[in-house]
Amino acid sequence: MFDVQSVAHQGPQSRQFNPYTENGGTILAIAGADFSVIAGDTRQSEGYSIQTRYAPKVFQLTDKAVLAVNGFSADGKMFVKKVKQRLEWYRHAHAKDMPIRSIARLIQTMLYSRRFFPYYVYNILGGIEDDGTGSVYSFDPVGSYEREACRAAGAAQSLVQPFLDNQVYYKNQTAGQDESFPTHLPLPSVLKLVVDAFTSATERHIEVGDGLEIYVVLKRDSTAIQSMEGVQEVTTSEEGQRVFYIRRELKKD
Amino acid sequence: MEYNGGSVVAMVGKDCVAIACDLRLGNQALGVSSNFPKIFPITDRIYLGMSGLATDLETLRERFRFRVNMYTIKEEREIEPQTFAHLVSSTLYEHRFGPYFIEPVIAGLSKTPSGDLKPFIAAADLIGCLNFAKDFVVSGTASAKIYGLAEALWEPDLEPEDLFETISQTLMNAVDRDAFSGWGCLVHVLTKDKVITRTLKSRMD
Amino acid sequence: MFLTRSEYDRGVNTFSPEGRLFQVEYAIEAIKLGSTTVGIRTPEGVVLGVEKRVQSPLLESSSIEKIMEIDTHLGCAMSGLVADARTMIDHARVTAQNHAFTYDEPIKVESVTQAVCDLALRFGESVHDEDAMMSRPFGVALLIAGIDELGPQLFHTDPSGTFMRYEAKAIGSGSEAAQSELQDKWHRQMTLKEAQILTLRVLKQVMEEKLDQHNVQLAQVTRDKGFQILEEANLKEVIDEM
Repeated sequence: MFDVQSVAHQGPQSRQFNPYTENGGTILAIAGADFSVIAGDTRQSEGYSIQTRYAPKVFQLTDKAVLAVNGFSADGKMFVKKVKQRLEWYRHAHAKDMPIRSIARLIQTMLYSRRFFPYYVYNILGGIEDDGTGSVYSFDPVGSYEREACRAAGAAQSLVQPFLDNQVYYKNQTAGQDESFPTHLPLPSVLKLVVDAFTSATERHIEVGDGLEIYVVLKRDSTAIQSMEGVQEVTTSEEGQRVFYIRRELKKD
Repeated sequence: MEYNGGSVVAMVGKDCVAIACDLRLGNQALGVSSNFPKIFPITDRIYLGMSGLATDLETLRERFRFRVNMYTIKEEREIEPQTFAHLVSSTLYEHRFGPYFIEPVIAGLSKTPSGDLKPFIAAADLIGCLNFAKDFVVSGTASAKIYGLAEALWEPDLEPEDLFETISQTLMNAVDRDAFSGWGCLVHVLTKDKVITRTLKSRMD
Repeated sequence: MFLTRSEYDRGVNTFSPEGRLFQVEYAIEAIKLGSTTVGIRTPEGVVLGVEKRVQSPLLESSSIEKIMEIDTHLGCAMSGLVADARTMIDHARVTAQNHAFTYDEPIKVESVTQAVCDLALRFGESVHDEDAMMSRPFGVALLIAGIDELGPQLFHTDPSGTFMRYEAKAIGSGSEAAQSELQDKWHRQMTLKEAQILTLRVLKQVMEEKLDQHNVQLAQVTRDKGFQILEEANLKEVIDEM
């Protein structure tokens, strides 16, 4: 029988529900002159256990915008769902697709509206601006954001970001006599960097691996993607930009 | 490890090794010195780098100097990199329950039975657990960042000048993203017949 | 219309058996008592013009405000109960600012018009414990002018919450004569200057007083300067040119 006496003699107890988990993984985006590449690995983990080897972190929002989410995956999924809903409402209210800079601002307001119970998510938004240039926007969990040429986030951010500084921004490199570094990298170089960044991160970080998903948003008239292997077009409409999907395997150990 | 900050990395090349460190000494977030090398020659062919608590670094440097001198006198020969690595390991393990807050990195050229010189690198944790890697070893506050770069930039059998470029780019770009490391770098490349030492200018913020 | 008046013209949320909402219809009538207001769209921009009835020589004509800014790229002219218009324009301004805050882009002309019209229908009795916002329909019609990615546009809204896009539109007491004049004189490739002059000519025709820079007001929305109300000096120049 339940011993009332003994329970009464135990000291005060406290219980705490922790609403957040960290699910690992890494995301990355690089902007080119007329394209944007958004990538993420597909491993989802909790502590030292792998929950699944395929959980997408990169989502196509429109034909010119792709969103990568990293952090607490439940919040991430919910957040993407809500962003998509807002994009649909906007389409109905204003009879057009939301421009990428507007999506960026919308994401800020959505994140900040939860300032005191945040979505535990780092967002990276990639796509093509209305002026046709490739763009990347990165966010912190409460909505501080910035447009950049490249950004890594997540478990292996510290491994990948300095590599990008070096290879995309040419940090600590000096151009030779009569030479100069390009302001924007061509698509094949960007894809090589992305794959390299993820294989390196997979090698040294336990939460990164299994699979790699890459989305390429390309200005409609660009020819950058021609003759590339294993590329699948996932564009959904005739107007707007073209979107491509590339999948690569990463080590599973 | 964040009290004084600092980072060290070592890499293997073709018949050569390189070891590099940053030059910052800090008191938590406050920068104190921009000329604080963390690498010291042990013999002509062994360089020891240490990151961690600066006071322990100086103590250990003197202890290793003493112990290597004793070894040289007793054995009447120069210490080999492998031997030195174990000396470092056992010295650290002596303080298993009250350790020196130091993560050492060793780079050297060891003699093979045939008389050739073979690249050698090793690192240990603060209680002396050795790691004999074949490619590169890291330590310090920017270690995660160095791993990211080294894993992407390093390749086998680099010639001395290429190895120098690789280790320099690895360290500089890593410490630029680390608040506790930076303020200039120091690089040594050990080859059969010479040691190339260069001080690198880098971001000072 | 007035002959069929019955109890059905009392409640704002009761249809008559013929399917009419009398209060709304009366509100539309109220606009016809207002001063004449004209709007013209051209490829360069949109022109708005109003007649200011200066009823007394002691009245400061500059205090009559019948054209107002909604946002830098949006303007609005009114006819009817000016007090009601202020409520609507306030709503339009908030909507425009909210849009710019949330989406980092200027709101479209049609979207801001839609927002104003949504408000126009919020009369009637309260539901549950909600506070009734308004007891009657607005007694004002608006001409909303603006420029967005679809180019210069002119919208007309009335108290029923209906809105329509026009190339040129006149509302208020002299609207019938003014509208037929616009239909006569408007052409597709009008310049902004031509539109200004046509606006003034139309107003002049329907005004009882002699038109001068004190009893009319002119505003325009252009691509590079956005919404602006013409200064009296500038207005005089246009009048002299007329």
